[in-house]
Amino acid sequence: MADTCKINKAYKAQYYPGTTSVAENRRKHMGHKTEKLREISDEDLTAVLGHRAPGSDYPSTHPPLAEMEEPPCPIRELVEPTPGAKAGDRIRYVQFVDSMYNAPSVPYVRSYYAAINFRGVDPGTLSGRQIVEARERDMELIAKDQLETEMTCPARSHLRGATVHGHSVRLQEDGVMFDMLDRARREGDVIIMDKDQVAIPLDRKVVLGKPMSEAELAKRTTIYRVDNVPFRSDAEAVEWVQRVYLQRTQYGFRPGVEKAQ
Amino acid sequence: MTSPTESGYNCGSAGGDTVQIEIVPQRILNPETSEKLLRRVYDCDGIIRVQVQGSRLPDKVGYGPGTGEKVNHPLKKSIEVEGQQVNMRVTLSRLLVEVDSDRTADEIKKICDETFSFPFEFYKGVFFKKYSTIVDYAKMGPNPDERLLGMTDPKGKLDQIVYIEKERKDSE
Repeated sequence: MADTCKINKAYKAQYYPGTTSVAENRRKHMGHKTEKLREISDEDLTAVLGHRAPGSDYPSTHPPLAEMEEPPCPIRELVEPTPGAKAGDRIRYVQFVDSMYNAPSVPYVRSYYAAINFRGVDPGTLSGRQIVEARERDMELIAKDQLETEMTCPARSHLRGATVHGHSVRLQEDGVMFDMLDRARREGDVIIMDKDQVAIPLDRKVVLGKPMSEAELAKRTTIYRVDNVPFRSDAEAVEWVQRVYLQRTQYGFRPGVEKAQ
Repeated sequence: MTSPTESGYNCGSAGGDTVQIEIVPQRILNPETSEKLLRRVYDCDGIIRVQVQGSRLPDKVGYGPGTGEKVNHPLKKSIEVEGQQVNMRVTLSRLLVEVDSDRTADEIKKICDETFSFPFEFYKGVFFKKYSTIVDYAKMGPNPDERLLGMTDPKGKLDQIVYIEKERKDSE
């Protein structure tokens, strides 16, 4: 899968304030400086996403852009289409659920990650789940990156397309996030998935890797929790969040108004 | 820990001098742990009624493109309580028990201490419904058995209640 749907930035961005490990992890996720922890093959990824048969061609919704006679447009000349758009792929989705029990990532951070680092994506953020819609091969690139890196623990973060629950449900005795449709479960010391995102059985068992230990989760999480790293312990993050909220409320984000008064 | 309110109109539990307790384990229980806990709870004297609350364990996928696919959830097993097979329709995530005295409640707390390998919450209070509502009237008619009130969800059916007969220890 080509990597050209990534954004090349000409400046060094600052993503999130704070001095705690949670703030640092949020910066890592948003800035795409995540550590790769496991390997998932393209075939396995395609199987669990469930949008097409593993190994098959990408179905298209329109002919490749090169074969289409596009109207003259300076923006089209300026912006290079993503590989998925170039090939005319369908728009498809990947949806993650993250447990509130120290999952490595959280929906807002996943959305920032997708929007900051990739082009042609439509992230959707909900309280306990996060969806990214994009052209199929672009979406697969984003999904694979999240599954293989420290953004995901196989036990605390799952792929769920329908009946998307688990975020605020207590964990099972084995420390795995509950799923009423039993898409992923612990077998030995690894987490396997034998159904796709929408709980249609697969003809294979996809090994998602070893779950992280409690200590590692506490170290890698991007969730502030009173029993781990409380939000109020990060004075810098609190200061900036309060500043944003105050200014949004008082001035509707109009810099300069404060000085003028 | 809270205790049942004793003042006010009909504020006690349905059985009058009974004690209602709520047990909330920090994890969703395996069927093996659920069976162990329920067996030991039912071994106590003075158990009046028990309610299991938790996440639903469906037989089939209910939403999305996979609608109708079978789900064989590992937590959905039949467990044996007092010699009777009980099918788990929900996980055991919260247990409400009505008992006849504080002594039995303390005994159940001790059982929880011994059964769970993780923290749990234990409360005394009023957890079962005290009054018959329109839904209860539609299901059970006038003058229902007070012990059946609040034993199922409003949309649930009465066949979700499992009757477990306890053998009398003082056999005549």
